[in-house]
Amino acid sequence: MTAMIQLSNVSKWYGSFQVLTDCTTQVAKGEVVVVCGPSGSGKSTLIKCVNALEPFQKGTVLVDGISVGDPKTDLPKLRSRVGMVFQHFELFPHLSITENLAIAQMKVLGRSRDEAHERGLKYLDRVGLKAQAAKFPGQLSGGQQQRVAIARALSMDPIAMLFDEPTSALDPEMINEVLDVMTGLAHEGMTMMCVTHEMGFARRVADRVIFMDQGHIVEDCTKEEFFGAPRGERAQQFLSKILQH
Amino acid sequence: MNYHWDWGVFFKSTGIGHEIYLDWFITGLGWTIAVALVAWVIALILGSLLGVMRTLPNKALSGFASGYVALFRNVPLLVQLFLWYFLVPDFLPESLQTWFKQDLKPSTSAYISVVVCLGLFTAARVCEQVRTGIEALPKGQSNAAYAMGFTLPQVYRHVLLPQAFRIIIPPMTSEFLNVFKNSSVASLIGLMELLAQTKQTAEFSANLFEAFTMATLIYFVLNMSLMKLMGWVENRVSVPGLIGSNGK
Amino acid sequence: MMDFSQIVPALPALADGMVLTLKLLAMSVAGGVVLGTLLALARLSSLPLLSGLAKFYVNYFRSIPLLLVISWFYLVVPLIYTWLTGSFEPVGAFTSCLVAFVMFEAAYFSEIVRAGIQSIPKGQVNAGYALGMRYDQVMRLIVLPQAFRKMTPLLLQQSIILFQDTSLVYAVGLLDFLNAARSKGDIVGLPHEFLIFAGAVYFVISMGATQLVKRLQKRFAV
Repeated sequence: MTAMIQLSNVSKWYGSFQVLTDCTTQVAKGEVVVVCGPSGSGKSTLIKCVNALEPFQKGTVLVDGISVGDPKTDLPKLRSRVGMVFQHFELFPHLSITENLAIAQMKVLGRSRDEAHERGLKYLDRVGLKAQAAKFPGQLSGGQQQRVAIARALSMDPIAMLFDEPTSALDPEMINEVLDVMTGLAHEGMTMMCVTHEMGFARRVADRVIFMDQGHIVEDCTKEEFFGAPRGERAQQFLSKILQH
Repeated sequence: MNYHWDWGVFFKSTGIGHEIYLDWFITGLGWTIAVALVAWVIALILGSLLGVMRTLPNKALSGFASGYVALFRNVPLLVQLFLWYFLVPDFLPESLQTWFKQDLKPSTSAYISVVVCLGLFTAARVCEQVRTGIEALPKGQSNAAYAMGFTLPQVYRHVLLPQAFRIIIPPMTSEFLNVFKNSSVASLIGLMELLAQTKQTAEFSANLFEAFTMATLIYFVLNMSLMKLMGWVENRVSVPGLIGSNGK
Repeated sequence: MMDFSQIVPALPALADGMVLTLKLLAMSVAGGVVLGTLLALARLSSLPLLSGLAKFYVNYFRSIPLLLVISWFYLVVPLIYTWLTGSFEPVGAFTSCLVAFVMFEAAYFSEIVRAGIQSIPKGQVNAGYALGMRYDQVMRLIVLPQAFRKMTPLLLQQSIILFQDTSLVYAVGLLDFLNAARSKGDIVGLPHEFLIFAGAVYFVISMGATQLVKRLQKRFAV
């Protein structure tokens, strides 16, 4: 398997405070990797380094062989090939659902309006929200908004998807509708890197689990190993806390 | 002292040509609107540009914009007007100088000065509103746009500005109204806009209560109409489901 | 070429102008805040007539230019004075400008004060009443002290705007700082230099005051 996403010795500082220390890992094509860890452990920062939303000072990140940190890299082009889903959905509130799905296809990929709408609606249908096409984000529930956000990312035909705590801003009853869409994606072979606390999801669909603490990647192993007997004490504490509820 | 009330004064002859006093008020209102609208267009374009610059990561650009705001907000409008009207023309190249001072009608050169002055003055205020609007948006919005492959100009054009401009319509409305009110400084460099015409009427007719009451009424009605207009604009562009929008 | 050397001998005259500017400013702010507070209380009153009148006053003065108010009052205040007192004693430009500023700025100050009063939680008022206080005591002892603390930065900012706006008294020939600089400049034959100097002084004072208010705001924000 070739690595779709390859992080090597990534380090990052905010001023003198180090948020990431020597992070090395990879996500192979078709692999689903879950990143977890206590808050402030650097997991969100790490995933944002993959598409350079967060700049890093040391190390390299390769996406499909292209170096993210290289100043010569065409970042917009690279980002357009990697889908990202955010904790707070980040649909554009001034655009209708259809326009949300189409705008980047048209402005970034140069697709025609018709093609962009057709594709957008196809994915909207896939997440089960075709009926909401004409509405505005503010008229949808959180779970619906997040499913639209996933459809928006998918309609760019991404080679990989990044999920940054996609369910942590949702009411409990809406979490599953989003996880179901993500599970479907994983089964279809999408390359996925997910920052999430949903250990049930990790158990069901993850190939590997990464555990981070204080900017370090502490565990990086298959899910069987991770849920079987995590080696580190911090990971054990974290798991016992999170699995209690 | 006896004051001679006469509300019919507006229909009396001014003694100059066939004009009645009402004509003066209409001409004055015309100038006021001509000054305010053109100045507003300048302020809107320049101010938006400066407001965007203030939010850019580039230190030189944002520094320039902050400097502009500091300068234009801390010098009184009247001083700025005198600078534009009395001082700047003397620093123009020879040919432009003769054009401005001799070829143009006095009212035209005064008009140009006041429009430039008021446009640049208001631009500083518009800049602050635009900046506030952009900064009020969650960081995630621009992140999401970048993540989809938008370039920086696209992020502003498609994501940040359409939202920021909607947020700032109420404060921009008061800036818009301010341009109309501030345009009255033009009377101090001899442009015969509404206030100047009012003073002239007061002096000519000696009916100063009536003249100033009329001016007040015109400003009041103008203000209300513009507020209605902006309210209509706000409604037109309001997004369903967004906080502050009237639609469901 | 610019020649700023002539400004030095003119400084006493300019200082006189600045004294008048600051005097007008201080008296206008004081009067404006007092009248503005009364307007805000009237606006928030439960009597529809009182709050309606206050609302009309505020909307009225906010929809007309300050320069119109100054020009109008310059002509009208002496007339009214004569009507009221029957005496023909001339009312100076300073007094009519002061009345204009106080009445005009009160409309703006009252909006700030109103927002300040409304930002105080209702529970504070209830607590005051529960202790047996009357309306005026609740306002004077509980609400207004808290509200003024919150709105001091805004009141100061508005005062800085007013500081710049005092230059509009040029319209009625009052010798404030700007007018002093203009007339001195004309006499000496260096109008540009004096105008630039005046602009620079206004800039330094209002910029400095703005920075000061910002620092104050940070300290108040605790």
